[in-house]
Amino acid sequence: MQTLELRGVGKRFGALQVLKEIDIRIEQGEFAAIVGPSGCGKSTALRMFAGLENPSEGQALADGVPIEGPSPARMLIFQEHALYPWSTVEDNVGLGLELAGVPKAERIRRVNEVLEKVNLGGFNRYYPSQLSGGMKQRASIARALVMDPDVLLLDEPYGALDALTRLSMQNELLDIWSGSGKTMLLITHDIDEALYLADKIYVMSARPGQIVETIRIDQPRPRDRSSEAFAEHRRNIMRLLGLED
Amino acid sequence: MNNRLRNIWRPLWPFLTAALTLLLLLQLGHLRTPIVIPSISAVFARLGDELADAAFWHSLGASLYRLGIGFPIACFLGGLLGLLAGLSRSFAVYLRSLIGILQSIPPITWLPFLVILYGFGDVPIITIIVIASFFPMALSVMNGTEGVSHTHIEVAKVLGAKKGQLLRKVYLPETLPAFITGAQVAFGNAWRSLIAGEMVGSAAVGLGFAISFSGEVADMEGVIMYIIVIGAIATFLDHFVLEMLKRRLLRWRYIKGGGDR
Repeated sequence: MQTLELRGVGKRFGALQVLKEIDIRIEQGEFAAIVGPSGCGKSTALRMFAGLENPSEGQALADGVPIEGPSPARMLIFQEHALYPWSTVEDNVGLGLELAGVPKAERIRRVNEVLEKVNLGGFNRYYPSQLSGGMKQRASIARALVMDPDVLLLDEPYGALDALTRLSMQNELLDIWSGSGKTMLLITHDIDEALYLADKIYVMSARPGQIVETIRIDQPRPRDRSSEAFAEHRRNIMRLLGLED
Repeated sequence: MNNRLRNIWRPLWPFLTAALTLLLLLQLGHLRTPIVIPSISAVFARLGDELADAAFWHSLGASLYRLGIGFPIACFLGGLLGLLAGLSRSFAVYLRSLIGILQSIPPITWLPFLVILYGFGDVPIITIIVIASFFPMALSVMNGTEGVSHTHIEVAKVLGAKKGQLLRKVYLPETLPAFITGAQVAFGNAWRSLIAGEMVGSAAVGLGFAISFSGEVADMEGVIMYIIVIGAIATFLDHFVLEMLKRRLLRWRYIKGGGDR
Protein backbone atom coordinates (compact mmCIF):
# COMPACT_ATOMS: atom_id res chain seq x y z
CA MET A 1 0.00 0.00 0.00
CA GLN A 2 1.17 3.50 -0.74
CA THR A 3 1.57 6.86 0.94
CA LEU A 4 0.86 9.92 -1.17
CA GLU A 5 2.70 13.18 -0.85
CA LEU A 6 2.90 16.58 -2.52
CA ARG A 7 5.99 18.46 -1.44
CA GLY A 8 6.13 22.20 -2.13
CA VAL A 9 4.05 21.72 -5.25
CA GLY A 10 3.13 24.57 -7.57
CA LYS A 11 1.44 24.35 -10.96
CA ARG A 12 1.18 26.87 -13.75
CA PHE A 13 -0.71 26.65 -17.03
CA GLY A 14 1.00 29.41 -18.99
CA ALA A 15 0.60 32.60 -16.99
CA LEU A 16 -2.11 31.10 -14.79
CA GLN A 17 -0.95 29.92 -11.39
CA VAL A 18 -3.25 27.08 -10.41
CA LEU A 19 -1.53 25.62 -7.35
CA LYS A 20 0.90 27.25 -4.94
CA GLU A 21 3.10 25.69 -2.27
CA ILE A 22 0.99 22.65 -1.64
CA ASP A 23 2.22 20.32 1.09
CA ILE A 24 0.08 17.32 1.82
CA ARG A 25 0.83 13.83 3.02
CA ILE A 26 -1.67 11.00 3.07
CA GLU A 27 -0.71 7.89 5.02
CA GLN A 28 -1.24 4.31 3.95
CA GLY A 29 -4.83 3.24 4.35
CA GLU A 30 -5.97 6.74 5.19
CA PHE A 31 -9.11 8.34 3.75
CA ALA A 32 -8.34 11.96 2.86
CA ALA A 33 -10.42 14.58 1.13
CA ILE A 34 -9.69 17.91 -0.49
CA VAL A 35 -12.53 20.42 -0.29
CA GLY A 36 -12.55 23.66 -2.20
CA PRO A 37 -14.50 25.87 -4.57
CA SER A 38 -14.64 24.87 -8.22
CA GLY A 39 -11.63 25.98 -10.21
CA CYS A 40 -9.33 25.99 -7.18
CA GLY A 41 -7.01 23.40 -8.71
CA LYS A 42 -7.98 20.48 -6.49
CA SER A 43 -8.50 18.22 -9.49
CA THR A 44 -5.06 19.18 -10.76
CA ALA A 45 -3.53 18.04 -7.48
CA LEU A 46 -5.36 14.73 -7.76
CA ARG A 47 -4.29 14.26 -11.37
CA MET A 48 -0.66 14.59 -10.27
CA PHE A 49 -1.09 11.47 -8.14
CA ALA A 50 -2.68 9.73 -11.12
CA GLY A 51 0.37 10.60 -13.21
CA LEU A 52 -1.62 12.67 -15.69
CA GLU A 53 -0.14 16.02 -14.67
CA ASN A 54 3.35 17.12 -13.63
CA PRO A 55 4.10 19.75 -10.99
CA SER A 56 5.77 22.96 -12.22
CA GLU A 57 7.53 23.21 -8.86
CA GLY A 58 8.07 20.70 -6.09
CA GLN A 59 7.44 16.97 -6.19
CA ALA A 60 4.56 14.51 -6.32
CA LEU A 61 5.54 11.32 -4.52
CA ALA A 62 4.06 7.88 -4.03
CA ASP A 63 5.80 5.91 -1.26
CA GLY A 64 8.55 8.55 -1.35
CA VAL A 65 9.27 7.94 -5.04
CA PRO A 66 8.56 10.68 -7.62
CA ILE A 67 5.55 9.86 -9.80
CA GLU A 68 6.57 9.53 -13.45
CA GLY A 69 3.26 8.54 -15.02
CA PRO A 70 0.11 6.47 -14.56
CA SER A 71 0.43 3.24 -12.61
CA PRO A 72 -2.04 0.40 -12.09
CA ALA A 73 -1.40 0.79 -8.36
CA ARG A 74 -3.11 4.19 -8.40
CA MET A 75 -6.53 4.29 -10.01
CA LEU A 76 -8.37 7.48 -10.85
CA ILE A 77 -12.16 7.53 -10.82
CA PHE A 78 -13.34 10.27 -13.13
CA GLN A 79 -16.14 12.77 -12.81
CA GLU A 80 -19.17 11.60 -14.79
CA HIS A 81 -18.06 7.96 -15.03
CA ALA A 82 -16.27 8.21 -18.45
CA LEU A 83 -17.33 4.69 -19.45
CA TYR A 84 -16.88 3.77 -23.10
CA PRO A 85 -20.35 3.89 -24.67
CA TRP A 86 -19.40 1.29 -27.29
CA SER A 87 -18.50 -1.37 -24.71
CA THR A 88 -20.67 -3.41 -22.37
CA VAL A 89 -20.32 -3.09 -18.60
CA GLU A 90 -18.28 -6.28 -18.60
CA ASP A 91 -15.86 -5.01 -21.26
CA ASN A 92 -15.58 -1.58 -19.64
CA VAL A 93 -14.79 -3.03 -16.25
CA GLY A 94 -12.42 -5.60 -17.69
CA LEU A 95 -10.52 -3.08 -19.81
CA GLY A 96 -7.54 -2.68 -17.48
CA LEU A 97 -7.12 -6.45 -17.14
CA GLU A 98 -7.42 -6.84 -20.90
CA LEU A 99 -4.74 -4.22 -21.49
CA ALA A 100 -2.52 -6.05 -19.04
CA GLY A 101 -3.00 -9.30 -20.97
CA VAL A 102 -4.97 -11.18 -18.30
CA PRO A 103 -6.54 -14.32 -19.87
CA LYS A 104 -10.24 -14.12 -20.63
CA ALA A 105 -11.47 -16.72 -18.14
CA GLU A 106 -9.71 -15.07 -15.22
CA ARG A 107 -10.79 -11.66 -16.43
CA ILE A 108 -14.44 -12.65 -16.41
CA ARG A 109 -14.12 -14.20 -12.98
CA ARG A 110 -12.56 -11.06 -11.51
CA VAL A 111 -15.02 -8.77 -13.28
CA ASN A 112 -17.96 -10.75 -11.92
CA GLU A 113 -16.51 -10.65 -8.44
CA VAL A 114 -16.09 -6.88 -8.49
CA LEU A 115 -19.51 -6.29 -10.09
CA GLU A 116 -21.07 -8.19 -7.16
CA LYS A 117 -19.14 -5.97 -4.78
CA VAL A 118 -20.54 -2.76 -6.28
CA ASN A 119 -24.07 -4.21 -6.56
CA LEU A 120 -24.00 -4.52 -10.35
CA GLY A 121 -24.10 -8.32 -10.50
CA GLY A 122 -25.86 -9.53 -13.64
CA PHE A 123 -25.46 -6.30 -15.58
CA ASN A 124 -22.46 -7.65 -17.53
CA ARG A 125 -24.03 -7.33 -20.96
CA TYR A 126 -25.62 -3.92 -20.53
CA TYR A 127 -24.34 -0.89 -22.36
CA PRO A 128 -23.67 2.29 -20.34
CA SER A 129 -26.59 4.06 -22.05
CA GLN A 130 -28.91 1.50 -20.48
CA LEU A 131 -27.77 2.26 -16.93
CA SER A 132 -28.86 4.97 -14.48
CA GLY A 133 -26.40 7.63 -13.33
CA GLY A 134 -25.63 5.83 -10.08
CA MET A 135 -25.11 2.49 -11.84
CA LYS A 136 -22.73 4.10 -14.32
CA GLN A 137 -20.64 5.51 -11.51
CA ARG A 138 -20.67 2.10 -9.78
CA ALA A 139 -19.37 0.54 -12.98
CA SER A 140 -16.69 3.19 -13.15
CA ILE A 141 -15.65 2.38 -9.58
CA ALA A 142 -15.65 -1.32 -10.48
CA ARG A 143 -13.35 -0.57 -13.42
CA ALA A 144 -10.83 0.84 -10.97
CA LEU A 145 -11.37 -1.77 -8.23
CA VAL A 146 -10.83 -4.72 -10.52
CA MET A 147 -7.17 -3.68 -10.81
CA ASP A 148 -6.90 -4.06 -7.02
CA PRO A 149 -5.05 -0.75 -6.67
CA ASP A 150 -3.29 0.47 -3.52
CA VAL A 151 -4.71 3.93 -4.03
CA LEU A 152 -8.12 5.14 -5.16
CA LEU A 153 -8.25 8.72 -6.43
CA LEU A 154 -11.80 10.03 -6.70
CA ASP A 155 -12.43 13.20 -8.71
CA GLU A 156 -15.84 14.48 -7.58
CA PRO A 157 -17.29 11.05 -8.34
CA TYR A 158 -20.80 11.84 -7.15
CA GLY A 159 -21.08 15.41 -8.41
CA ALA A 160 -23.50 14.51 -11.17
CA LEU A 161 -25.78 12.31 -9.04
CA ASP A 162 -29.00 13.20 -7.28
CA ALA A 163 -28.86 13.73 -3.52
CA LEU A 164 -30.38 10.40 -2.48
CA THR A 165 -28.23 8.31 -4.79
CA ARG A 166 -25.21 10.24 -3.57
CA LEU A 167 -25.89 9.31 0.06
CA SER A 168 -26.19 5.60 -0.63
CA MET A 169 -23.12 5.68 -2.87
CA GLN A 170 -21.15 7.22 -0.02
CA ASN A 171 -22.03 4.29 2.22
CA GLU A 172 -21.07 1.85 -0.51
CA LEU A 173 -17.74 3.58 -0.85
CA LEU A 174 -17.09 3.20 2.88
CA ASP A 175 -17.92 -0.50 2.61
CA ILE A 176 -15.40 -0.88 -0.21
CA TRP A 177 -12.73 0.98 1.68
CA SER A 178 -13.12 -0.32 5.23
CA GLY A 179 -10.70 -3.09 5.98
CA SER A 180 -9.17 -2.94 2.50
CA GLY A 181 -6.17 -0.90 3.61
CA LYS A 182 -6.44 1.19 0.47
CA THR A 183 -5.32 4.79 0.55
CA MET A 184 -8.15 7.08 -0.58
CA LEU A 185 -8.13 10.64 -1.82
CA LEU A 186 -11.47 12.24 -2.58
CA ILE A 187 -11.92 15.57 -4.33
CA THR A 188 -15.23 17.21 -3.64
CA HIS A 189 -17.01 20.52 -3.28
CA ASP A 190 -19.59 18.89 -1.05
CA ILE A 191 -18.51 19.70 2.52
CA ASP A 192 -20.85 17.13 4.07
CA GLU A 193 -19.53 14.42 1.81
CA ALA A 194 -15.98 15.09 2.95
CA LEU A 195 -17.05 15.20 6.61
CA TYR A 196 -18.99 11.96 6.32
CA LEU A 197 -16.21 10.02 4.60
CA ALA A 198 -12.75 11.34 5.40
CA ASP A 199 -10.24 10.98 8.25
CA LYS A 200 -8.51 14.13 7.15
CA ILE A 201 -9.79 17.11 5.18
CA TYR A 202 -7.64 19.61 3.35
CA VAL A 203 -9.45 22.89 2.79
CA MET A 204 -8.25 24.63 -0.34
CA SER A 205 -8.67 28.27 -1.38
CA ALA A 206 -9.10 29.44 -4.96
CA ARG A 207 -6.64 31.00 -7.38
CA PRO A 208 -3.98 30.12 -6.71
CA GLY A 209 -5.03 26.94 -4.92
CA GLN A 210 -3.48 26.80 -1.46
CA ILE A 211 -4.13 24.60 1.53
CA VAL A 212 -5.63 26.92 4.13
CA GLU A 213 -6.33 24.31 6.80
CA THR A 214 -5.97 20.63 7.54
CA ILE A 215 -8.75 19.18 9.66
CA ARG A 216 -8.70 15.79 11.38
CA ILE A 217 -12.02 14.08 11.88
CA ASP A 218 -11.86 11.50 14.65
CA GLN A 219 -15.53 10.62 14.89
CA PRO A 220 -16.19 6.89 14.50
CA ARG A 221 -18.11 5.70 11.46
CA PRO A 222 -20.92 5.63 10.52
CA ARG A 223 -21.10 9.31 11.34
CA ASP A 224 -24.18 11.18 12.34
CA ARG A 225 -24.66 14.01 9.89
CA SER A 226 -26.84 15.90 12.35
CA SER A 227 -24.47 15.66 15.32
CA GLU A 228 -23.09 18.76 17.02
CA ALA A 229 -19.47 17.89 16.16
CA PHE A 230 -20.43 17.48 12.50
CA ALA A 231 -22.16 20.87 12.47
CA GLU A 232 -19.19 22.47 14.19
CA HIS A 233 -16.78 21.17 11.54
CA ARG A 234 -19.14 22.27 8.80
CA ARG A 235 -19.33 25.83 10.18
CA ASN A 236 -15.56 25.88 10.48
CA ILE A 237 -15.00 24.82 6.84
CA MET A 238 -17.63 27.24 5.55
CA ARG A 239 -15.88 30.03 7.40
CA LEU A 240 -12.51 29.00 5.95
CA LEU A 241 -14.00 29.07 2.47
CA GLY A 242 -15.47 32.51 3.14
CA LEU A 243 -19.05 31.28 2.92
CA GLU A 244 -19.93 32.26 6.47
CA ASP A 245 -18.61 34.80 8.97
CA MET B 1 -40.75 -13.42 -35.67
CA ASN B 2 -43.47 -10.83 -35.86
CA ASN B 3 -40.90 -8.37 -34.56
CA ARG B 4 -38.52 -9.26 -37.32
CA LEU B 5 -41.14 -8.60 -39.96
CA ARG B 6 -41.89 -5.23 -38.42
CA ASN B 7 -38.19 -4.32 -38.42
CA ILE B 8 -38.03 -4.90 -42.15
CA TRP B 9 -41.34 -3.22 -42.87
CA ARG B 10 -40.79 -0.07 -40.83
CA PRO B 11 -37.93 1.41 -42.89
CA LEU B 12 -39.42 0.04 -46.10
CA TRP B 13 -42.85 1.64 -46.23
CA PRO B 14 -41.74 5.30 -46.51
CA PHE B 15 -39.62 4.35 -49.51
CA LEU B 16 -42.45 2.49 -51.13
CA THR B 17 -44.81 5.42 -50.61
CA ALA B 18 -42.26 7.84 -52.04
CA ALA B 19 -41.64 5.60 -55.06
CA LEU B 20 -45.37 5.29 -55.58
CA THR B 21 -45.75 9.09 -55.61
CA LEU B 22 -43.16 9.41 -58.35
CA LEU B 23 -44.76 6.67 -60.43
CA LEU B 24 -48.11 8.37 -60.00
CA LEU B 25 -46.68 11.61 -61.39
CA LEU B 26 -45.36 9.64 -64.35
CA GLN B 27 -48.78 8.16 -64.94
CA LEU B 28 -50.35 11.65 -64.86
CA GLY B 29 -47.79 12.75 -67.43
CA HIS B 30 -48.75 9.80 -69.56
CA LEU B 31 -52.44 10.66 -69.36
CA ARG B 32 -51.67 14.23 -70.44
CA THR B 33 -49.27 13.49 -73.31
CA PRO B 34 -49.56 9.79 -74.14
CA ILE B 35 -47.49 10.16 -77.30
CA VAL B 36 -44.34 11.26 -75.49
CA ILE B 37 -44.60 9.74 -72.02
CA PRO B 38 -45.15 5.99 -71.70
CA SER B 39 -47.44 4.47 -69.09
CA ILE B 40 -46.16 2.79 -65.94
CA SER B 41 -47.19 -0.60 -67.26
CA ALA B 42 -45.26 -0.05 -70.49
CA VAL B 43 -42.14 0.94 -68.55
CA PHE B 44 -42.34 -2.13 -66.34
CA ALA B 45 -43.02 -4.39 -69.30
CA ARG B 46 -39.87 -2.96 -70.85
CA LEU B 47 -37.98 -3.55 -67.61
CA GLY B 48 -39.11 -7.18 -67.74
CA ASP B 49 -37.80 -7.52 -71.30
CA GLU B 50 -34.48 -5.95 -70.39
CA LEU B 51 -34.03 -8.19 -67.36
CA ALA B 52 -34.19 -11.14 -69.74
CA ASP B 53 -31.56 -9.57 -72.00
CA ALA B 54 -27.86 -10.27 -71.44
CA ALA B 55 -26.90 -6.80 -72.73
CA PHE B 56 -28.70 -5.20 -69.76
CA TRP B 57 -26.78 -7.32 -67.29
CA HIS B 58 -23.57 -6.57 -69.09
CA SER B 59 -24.26 -2.87 -68.75
CA LEU B 60 -25.23 -3.17 -65.07
CA GLY B 61 -22.17 -5.30 -64.37
CA ALA B 62 -19.83 -2.73 -65.95
CA SER B 63 -21.22 0.04 -63.76
CA LEU B 64 -21.06 -1.98 -60.55
CA TYR B 65 -17.53 -3.05 -61.42
CA ARG B 66 -16.38 0.58 -61.65
CA LEU B 67 -18.19 1.43 -58.44
CA GLY B 68 -16.79 -1.67 -56.75
CA ILE B 69 -13.25 -0.53 -57.44
CA GLY B 70 -13.58 3.24 -57.13
CA PHE B 71 -15.67 3.42 -53.95
CA PRO B 72 -13.46 1.21 -51.74
CA ILE B 73 -10.34 3.04 -52.95
CA ALA B 74 -11.98 6.37 -52.12
CA CYS B 75 -13.03 5.12 -48.67
CA PHE B 76 -9.58 3.81 -47.89
CA LEU B 77 -7.80 6.90 -49.16
CA GLY B 78 -10.24 9.27 -47.48
CA GLY B 79 -10.10 7.34 -44.22
CA LEU B 80 -6.32 7.35 -44.19
CA LEU B 81 -6.01 11.06 -45.01
CA GLY B 82 -8.73 11.92 -42.50
CA LEU B 83 -7.00 9.93 -39.77
CA LEU B 84 -3.67 11.63 -40.44
CA ALA B 85 -5.34 15.04 -40.48
CA GLY B 86 -7.09 14.22 -37.21
CA LEU B 87 -3.75 13.53 -35.58
CA SER B 88 -1.71 16.38 -37.13
CA ARG B 89 -3.04 19.90 -37.03
CA SER B 90 -0.82 21.23 -39.82
CA PHE B 91 -1.80 18.42 -42.16
CA ALA B 92 -5.46 19.12 -41.33
CA VAL B 93 -5.08 22.72 -42.47
CA TYR B 94 -3.49 21.57 -45.72
CA LEU B 95 -6.12 18.90 -46.32
CA ARG B 96 -8.97 21.33 -45.74
CA SER B 97 -7.54 23.70 -48.34
CA LEU B 98 -7.01 20.90 -50.82
CA ILE B 99 -10.56 19.67 -50.33
CA GLY B 100 -11.83 23.25 -50.59
CA ILE B 101 -10.30 23.56 -54.02
CA LEU B 102 -11.37 20.09 -55.18
CA GLN B 103 -14.93 20.74 -54.03
CA SER B 104 -15.20 23.81 -56.23
CA ILE B 105 -14.30 21.78 -59.32
CA PRO B 106 -17.20 19.52 -60.35
CA PRO B 107 -15.69 16.02 -60.56
CA ILE B 108 -16.93 15.52 -64.12
CA THR B 109 -14.66 18.41 -65.19
CA TRP B 110 -11.70 16.08 -64.87
CA LEU B 111 -13.05 13.71 -67.49
CA PRO B 112 -11.50 15.29 -70.62
CA PHE B 113 -8.18 15.51 -68.81
CA LEU B 114 -8.34 11.86 -67.82
CA VAL B 115 -9.56 10.67 -71.22
CA ILE B 116 -6.62 12.36 -72.94
CA LEU B 117 -4.35 10.78 -70.36
CA TYR B 118 -5.75 7.23 -70.24
CA GLY B 119 -8.03 6.94 -73.24
CA PHE B 120 -11.66 5.78 -73.16
CA GLY B 121 -12.57 3.03 -70.72
CA ASP B 122 -12.81 2.27 -67.03
CA VAL B 123 -9.83 4.19 -65.68
CA PRO B 124 -11.12 7.77 -66.16
CA ILE B 125 -14.48 6.90 -64.60
CA ILE B 126 -12.96 5.08 -61.64
CA THR B 127 -10.62 8.02 -61.08
CA ILE B 128 -13.53 10.43 -61.09
CA ILE B 129 -15.35 8.28 -58.55
CA VAL B 130 -12.29 8.44 -56.30
CA ILE B 131 -11.91 12.22 -56.68
CA ALA B 132 -15.59 12.80 -56.00
CA SER B 133 -15.98 10.53 -53.02
CA PHE B 134 -12.73 10.51 -51.03
CA PHE B 135 -13.28 13.92 -49.48
CA PRO B 136 -16.55 13.39 -47.61
CA MET B 137 -14.85 10.39 -46.07
CA ALA B 138 -11.71 12.39 -45.25
CA LEU B 139 -13.69 15.28 -43.72
CA SER B 140 -15.85 13.00 -41.64
CA VAL B 141 -12.96 10.92 -40.31
CA MET B 142 -10.90 14.05 -39.62
CA ASN B 143 -13.69 15.55 -37.54
CA GLY B 144 -14.24 12.22 -35.82
CA THR B 145 -10.59 11.88 -34.88
CA GLU B 146 -10.35 15.44 -33.63
CA GLY B 147 -13.44 14.80 -31.54
CA VAL B 148 -12.06 11.80 -29.66
CA SER B 149 -12.81 12.43 -26.00
CA HIS B 150 -9.77 13.47 -24.00
CA THR B 151 -11.20 11.76 -20.94
CA HIS B 152 -11.61 8.47 -22.81
CA ILE B 153 -7.92 8.60 -23.67
CA GLU B 154 -6.96 9.38 -20.07
CA VAL B 155 -9.07 6.49 -18.78
CA ALA B 156 -7.08 4.11 -20.96
CA LYS B 157 -3.79 5.69 -19.93
CA VAL B 158 -4.61 5.34 -16.24
CA LEU B 159 -5.51 1.70 -16.85
CA GLY B 160 -2.09 1.18 -18.41
CA ALA B 161 -2.70 1.43 -22.18
CA LYS B 162 0.27 1.73 -24.50
CA LYS B 163 0.23 3.63 -27.82
CA GLY B 164 -1.01 0.74 -29.96
CA GLN B 165 -3.64 -0.18 -27.40
CA LEU B 166 -4.88 3.42 -27.32
CA LEU B 167 -5.38 3.27 -31.07
CA ARG B 168 -7.23 -0.04 -30.95
CA LYS B 169 -9.25 0.47 -27.79
CA VAL B 170 -10.12 4.18 -27.99
CA TYR B 171 -9.40 5.85 -31.33
CA LEU B 172 -10.81 3.09 -33.51
CA PRO B 173 -14.14 2.49 -31.77
CA GLU B 174 -14.61 6.19 -31.16
CA THR B 175 -14.07 7.14 -34.83
CA LEU B 176 -16.04 4.22 -36.26
CA PRO B 177 -19.28 6.22 -36.51
CA ALA B 178 -17.40 8.90 -38.49
CA PHE B 179 -16.06 6.26 -40.89
CA ILE B 180 -19.55 4.99 -41.52
CA THR B 181 -21.14 8.42 -41.95
CA GLY B 182 -18.29 9.31 -44.27
CA ALA B 183 -18.84 6.17 -46.31
CA GLN B 184 -22.54 6.93 -46.67
CA VAL B 185 -21.97 10.46 -47.94
CA ALA B 186 -19.11 9.24 -50.13
CA PHE B 187 -21.38 6.64 -51.66
CA GLY B 188 -23.80 9.28 -52.91
CA ASN B 189 -20.97 11.18 -54.55
CA ALA B 190 -19.49 8.01 -56.03
CA TRP B 191 -22.78 6.96 -57.58
CA ARG B 192 -23.50 10.38 -59.08
CA SER B 193 -20.07 10.71 -60.65
CA LEU B 194 -20.18 7.14 -61.94
CA ILE B 195 -23.38 7.73 -63.87
CA ALA B 196 -22.30 11.21 -64.99
CA GLY B 197 -18.95 9.88 -66.20
CA GLU B 198 -20.60 7.14 -68.19
CA MET B 199 -23.12 9.55 -69.68
CA VAL B 200 -20.60 12.13 -70.79
CA GLY B 201 -19.00 9.36 -72.71
CA SER B 202 -15.88 7.79 -71.45
CA ALA B 203 -17.33 4.34 -71.99
CA ALA B 204 -19.38 2.37 -74.49
CA VAL B 205 -21.06 0.28 -71.80
CA GLY B 206 -22.68 0.96 -68.43
CA LEU B 207 -25.96 2.29 -67.02
CA GLY B 208 -25.02 5.91 -67.74
CA PHE B 209 -24.09 5.08 -71.30
CA ALA B 210 -27.30 3.11 -71.76
CA ILE B 211 -29.58 5.93 -70.64
CA SER B 212 -27.63 8.43 -72.69
CA PHE B 213 -27.98 6.17 -75.73
CA SER B 214 -31.73 5.78 -75.13
CA GLY B 215 -31.94 9.55 -75.04
CA GLU B 216 -30.20 9.92 -78.37
CA VAL B 217 -32.62 7.61 -80.13
CA ALA B 218 -35.61 9.22 -78.35
CA ASP B 219 -36.46 5.98 -76.57
CA MET B 220 -38.48 7.44 -73.70
CA GLU B 221 -39.42 4.03 -72.29
CA GLY B 222 -35.76 3.15 -72.02
CA VAL B 223 -34.88 6.51 -70.46
CA ILE B 224 -37.50 6.18 -67.74
CA MET B 225 -36.68 2.56 -67.12
CA TYR B 226 -33.01 3.40 -66.59
CA ILE B 227 -33.88 6.27 -64.25
CA ILE B 228 -35.85 3.77 -62.18
CA VAL B 229 -33.06 1.20 -62.25
CA ILE B 230 -30.37 3.74 -61.30
CA GLY B 231 -32.46 5.13 -58.47
CA ALA B 232 -33.46 1.73 -57.15
CA ILE B 233 -29.93 0.35 -57.03
CA ALA B 234 -28.50 3.38 -55.22
CA THR B 235 -31.37 3.51 -52.76
CA PHE B 236 -30.94 -0.16 -52.00
CA LEU B 237 -27.17 0.05 -51.52
CA ASP B 238 -27.27 3.23 -49.45
CA HIS B 239 -30.35 2.82 -47.31
CA PHE B 240 -30.33 -0.92 -46.84
CA VAL B 241 -26.85 -2.37 -47.29
CA LEU B 242 -24.85 0.51 -45.74
CA GLU B 243 -27.54 1.20 -43.15
CA MET B 244 -27.56 -2.43 -42.02
CA LEU B 245 -23.79 -2.43 -41.81
CA LYS B 246 -24.00 0.69 -39.68
CA ARG B 247 -26.53 -0.79 -37.31
CA ARG B 248 -24.47 -3.92 -36.95
CA LEU B 249 -21.19 -2.11 -36.27
CA LEU B 250 -22.71 0.56 -34.04
CA ARG B 251 -25.08 -1.71 -32.17
CA TRP B 252 -24.49 0.18 -28.92
CA ARG B 253 -25.99 3.32 -30.46
CA TYR B 254 -29.28 1.70 -31.28
CA ILE B 255 -29.86 0.01 -27.96
CA LYS B 256 -32.43 1.77 -25.85
CA GLY B 257 -33.72 1.42 -22.32
CA GLY B 258 -32.98 -1.37 -19.89
CA GLY B 259 -33.16 -4.13 -22.49
CA ASP B 260 -31.10 -7.27 -22.43
CA ARG B 261 -29.20 -8.71 -25.36
